[in-house]
Amino acid sequence: MSKHLSVFAAMVHKEFLIMLRYPIEFVASFFQVFLIIIIITLAGLMFSSEGVGAEAPPEVGGVVAYGFVLFIYLSDTLWGIGFNVRREQKQGTLEQLYLSPASKFASLASRVVITLFWTGLLSLGSLLVMSLLLGGLPLQNGGLGLYLLLMSLSGTFGMGFAFAALTLRIKEAAQTAVNMLQFGFMVLCAPFFPFAALPPAILAISRLIPLSYGVDSFRSTLMGYPEGFPELAPIGTEIIIVTLFGLLMPPLGVWLYRWAEDDARRRGTLSEY
Amino acid sequence: MREFVYHPPTFRQKLDAALAETRLRLINISRYPGQLVMEIIIPLVFASMPMLLGRATAGADAAANFEANTGTTNYVAYMLIGANIFTIVTSAFWHVAYWLRFEQETGTLESIYLTPTSSVTLLSGVALHSAIRGVGSALIAYFIGCLIYRVNPLQGDVLIALLFILVGLIPLYSLTLLFGAVVLKVKESNALINLMQWVVSFLMGIFFPIAILPKVVQLIALAFPPTWMINGVRSALLGVGFFFGEWYLDLAVLWTFLLITPYVGMWVFRRVENNLRRNEGMGQF
Repeated sequence: MSKHLSVFAAMVHKEFLIMLRYPIEFVASFFQVFLIIIIITLAGLMFSSEGVGAEAPPEVGGVVAYGFVLFIYLSDTLWGIGFNVRREQKQGTLEQLYLSPASKFASLASRVVITLFWTGLLSLGSLLVMSLLLGGLPLQNGGLGLYLLLMSLSGTFGMGFAFAALTLRIKEAAQTAVNMLQFGFMVLCAPFFPFAALPPAILAISRLIPLSYGVDSFRSTLMGYPEGFPELAPIGTEIIIVTLFGLLMPPLGVWLYRWAEDDARRRGTLSEY
Repeated sequence: MREFVYHPPTFRQKLDAALAETRLRLINISRYPGQLVMEIIIPLVFASMPMLLGRATAGADAAANFEANTGTTNYVAYMLIGANIFTIVTSAFWHVAYWLRFEQETGTLESIYLTPTSSVTLLSGVALHSAIRGVGSALIAYFIGCLIYRVNPLQGDVLIALLFILVGLIPLYSLTLLFGAVVLKVKESNALINLMQWVVSFLMGIFFPIAILPKVVQLIALAFPPTWMINGVRSALLGVGFFFGEWYLDLAVLWTFLLITPYVGMWVFRRVENNLRRNEGMGQF
């Protein structure tokens, strides 16, 4: 057990070192997030009767700000955990990693720590910027909000593992798949607008995606359940769905990854790219 | 003994080389249809975000509020134009920058610099491929978007709008030479280009008029050709108002960019390129 932990710690250390050795990338990604927030906020304010001088209603700020937090986590998970397997494949280090006695899963899980740390910082920073731009954000039921965030993130990491499995199969097409998932999430899970804005046919699909309930319950809880929120189901039902998503998705993702990994080893396609 | 004399490539030969590069790139991308589909979907999704947010929050007043802030009630076309010009601009940056980085990573950049074909000739080929791909995807996405949201895509002066796009492409691709220089110099520059694409979209007013920005930021934005491109297209199609009141005056500014930016871009690119050649930097990645 202690050996497994030490391998895991070494891999987390390696990921941190890589991150710190590209300071331009580090700083650029930070500023990029703020620019995206400013652009979305300004675009939203174009629909306000007072324009940029207006203070957005708390529900509008809450919907966009808390939805954005889940969006960057999903985005970073897909790129950082899922697509990173492809990076190892391209660099030619994936096969070597599998020949070493180190835990293969630790390599994947070590990226979760980086995502939690770095995206966590970005989320806090972006909430602060949005709060300044919109004249404050609603913040209620912090404890339950944190629980829902953690469960949603746990489910999201499970999706990241499942996507890593897909990456081993589809190789170069993984880049397109990441984009599709990301943009699919932007529409179907409504992180930047209320679900009420979706046409009924699309809303029906949204209801089938557990992460939609993560977005809805997380922001509704932090906004203190204003009228019309949560939009998809009563909060009790949403909490159960999000909990099940957070508990079941990681083992499912790991199982899928192990299956894809064994399959790639058997077929000798690990180092193919 | 037969004497070999080196003749520099003629214009015709350069043009052939550039077109061959364009053809190569287009054949390559045709093998990744999923990527092409995404290039159409991305601006559609991107434009939908503020539209859905605006509709949900402003309700029946969405169009009236939008008109008070931007000068048009047609927020669908306004957002779609913004998102699609953004696609053209980011395609330009990524395709040129990624071409250089790809050659660097695969170890063929040094070889390219040893052939009689100049890097600018090949870059022109890449730029042509990028323009065909970027403008093509943007037009398709615009028409599909208008179809989905049920607005007329062919309102206003379509020809003037196209003129703004076509004239704006040359200064835009001249600017990409600056990005090419950054890639040559910094190498692992994905994050920088990523950041720059958002800086550019902010400055050109992707989803809002630049008049809402502070004066200093407005001045910086006006020094940037895509700002004139996007406002020209919006004014021609939606009548939001040209910066100088008349379309030909705004177009004249774009022409000025067209005459100046290629020399600036070329000068910077050549300078970085020569510096790297002299200091063993070309083969490094």
